[in-house]
Amino acid sequence: MNASRIHGIVLSGVGGQGVLSLAQILLEALRRSGLHALQSEIHGMSQRGGSVHAQVCFSEAALTSPILDEGGADLLIALEPLEALRYVSMLRMDGHLVVSEEPQMDMAGYPPLDDVYAALKAVRGAHLVDTEDLARRLNHRQAGGMALLGMASRFLPIEDGVWREVIAQRFEAKGARVTEKNLEAFEAGRGLIHDPVGA
Amino acid sequence: MVQSTLALGVEAVGCAAFDAGIKGAFGYPGTPSTEGFEAVELLIHGAQDGRVAQWAANEKVAYDLALGMSYSGHRTLVTMKHVGLNVAMDAYANSALTGVRGGLVLLVADDPGMHSSQNEQDSRRLAEFAWLPCLEPSTVQECYDLTFRAFELSEALQVPVMLRIVTRLAHCRAALARRKTQAPTGLGPVPEAAVQDWVLIPANARRRYVDLLDKQPRLMAEATPLNRLIPGTIRRGVALAGMGRAYFGQLLHENPALSALSRLEIAAYPVDPALEQAFLAQVDEVVVFEEDYPVLEERLGLRGTAQIRGRLDGALPRTGELSPRLLKDALGVEAPVGKAASSLELPIRAPRFCDGCGHVDAYEALKEALVQVGAPETRVFGDIGCYTLAAQEPMAAIHAVVEMGASISMAVGAALAGQNPSVAVIGDSTFGHSGLPALLTAVDSGVNVTVIILDNRVVGMTGQQPSQALDQVERMVRGMGIPDDQLQVLLPVPKQHDANVAAVTAALRHAGPSVVVFRRECIQSIRRGVLKDHDRQERERCTTEVCS
Ligand SMILES: Cc1ncc(C[n+]2csc(CCOP(=O)(O)OP(=O)(O)O)c2C)c(N)n1
Ligand code: SF4
Repeated sequence: MNASRIHGIVLSGVGGQGVLSLAQILLEALRRSGLHALQSEIHGMSQRGGSVHAQVCFSEAALTSPILDEGGADLLIALEPLEALRYVSMLRMDGHLVVSEEPQMDMAGYPPLDDVYAALKAVRGAHLVDTEDLARRLNHRQAGGMALLGMASRFLPIEDGVWREVIAQRFEAKGARVTEKNLEAFEAGRGLIHDPVGA
Repeated sequence: MVQSTLALGVEAVGCAAFDAGIKGAFGYPGTPSTEGFEAVELLIHGAQDGRVAQWAANEKVAYDLALGMSYSGHRTLVTMKHVGLNVAMDAYANSALTGVRGGLVLLVADDPGMHSSQNEQDSRRLAEFAWLPCLEPSTVQECYDLTFRAFELSEALQVPVMLRIVTRLAHCRAALARRKTQAPTGLGPVPEAAVQDWVLIPANARRRYVDLLDKQPRLMAEATPLNRLIPGTIRRGVALAGMGRAYFGQLLHENPALSALSRLEIAAYPVDPALEQAFLAQVDEVVVFEEDYPVLEERLGLRGTAQIRGRLDGALPRTGELSPRLLKDALGVEAPVGKAASSLELPIRAPRFCDGCGHVDAYEALKEALVQVGAPETRVFGDIGCYTLAAQEPMAAIHAVVEMGASISMAVGAALAGQNPSVAVIGDSTFGHSGLPALLTAVDSGVNVTVIILDNRVVGMTGQQPSQALDQVERMVRGMGIPDDQLQVLLPVPKQHDANVAAVTAALRHAGPSVVVFRRECIQSIRRGVLKDHDRQERERCTTEVCS
């Protein structure tokens, strides 16, 4: 990580998938790592199935702008493949993309899935994950978001202990078992990225 | 500094109001102001120290509640979105003449880019219109600090103070350092000698208007320490407010060469003309970065000394919100090149009704009933809420959406012009907000207007706050003069479809005003258990009292 530079993360998905909740976990983890961090989100109609996106900026220096420029993001975390494509141009040339292959197709004009996958695979630094399969294997229906965060963690200057702390705190109210399942999903995602070039 | 937490900008305003010792908070929900009220509500409920947080039926009611609290000598916060201030404008403009006793801060959230609004009006203009001060933060911490300052100013100047934020700041989350919480302290009610100031009969109002105008230099003097003139080294400059200030600050950090530009940074209005002149004396060309209307841009342009660039000359788009990219382009700063956008066509993913939402069943019944009466092409007057989604294809069930409460009056107006049948569709919260007086007039007009009230028991659109009309809709309808036989209450579920079609058909055929209430709780509100306690209490009350 380059200290003076502003780093950016874009998160995208569909209303109800938990995009904003992931963004908040990220923000908290960055803050606990001693970094200046800002998160921007737009809500109002989010639970009704529209596109949702959030941005997180962080730096070692103080920040005032919560908005990233095109070409200003280091990382894109997408919970849905089509929603990933919308934000590819937000990524820096050397940026990475972690994306779920699980489509939410209940909308008019969804392009052929194969085209969507092909477009994603054409992006350098793209890491696709079959979250549906992962969820089945972990016997945890909502494992996808946490697994993506685990993948993303390989590109972020946040210590393992901080992640565990923040995730545990986030799910504290839902009991030890839920916390454990989420930590497991996070670790599973983390294990999917072997050699994070440029991290 | 006692506490550091993560908070949204709009929440920071609520926290500051609590910490500044307000006795009460009032508001009507509206994105992106809603969470400001909810933050202070949470603190007040937690504190259990006699403070109150109360949603009001509409923004004007909220503002008058706050004014009453101020009259009695207590600090108070009132929250609304930008169009809400249109509704509260009568109260706001006249409270400039009465002045305040306890500090009164009005949080208004503007929505440049119309993320969830029907227009992008600029509240700074309304503050100017009312001759009142307005503070405009640019970071989450400033939201907090300037709210504190706003309370002090309100009491020092004895006027209401507006705190204007925009969507991007309202929904920016960042670390927030809070100060020590002050307990609410009352100044006591308006003293005897000042009572006439609050009685705006013409004789008093004329005097108070002069007082208000006489106060303007003091308002400017108090604004000046919050505004800054930072000289540069060349004869170019930027004028910055709100997010313009935030984006430029960031850009300056990345491009230190920009410090050659002179900067006029505005966080408080009215702006002292002397400050503007001092700035203009240093520059030949200025780019103005502010959200919504070209307020500073016009003021600086009127002086005619420098070339003023911004929304009016095309340096920036005339509409929509600012962005870091727009600043870079206008200043000729090189922008980064990112990965190529996908060449695949990406259709928008529009928001839609939640699965199982009762509004859908109600619309289906209405559409078929219109077919039954032989008028399937009827233009239906809609209103604002989740049910506005029905304006989209393929449902296309409503054909006008203007402002809250408009549906009923527009349907009556169209009926008076000869449309028959004439139909209005309105939500329960919207009905309580501004549908009531419209229904009174509908009854008085006697025309064939069918008012469909979609009662999902909450304010669905803004996050399922309990509706003020909760359990009251039939009583309200009867109270406006609709006879019992023209009021039907239906259950919008697929199983009831045929019965519902028959009932709506009967209402459409009736020659005079009629009301059909579709009642089923919002799915999201059920999921979150918003009304669970309320409903349990009602059931308990009903077993101890005689309930019908
Ligand atoms: C004057 C004004 N105040 C607030 C809003 C924000 N707002 C939009 S719809 C709505 C109320 C929706 O509630 P309801 O009529 O019950 O419909 P629902 O969303 O529950 O279907 C509010 C508060 C607005 N658009 N205009
Ligand atoms: S939030 Fe409630 S009212 Fe709005 S679409 Fe969903 S179920 Fe319907």
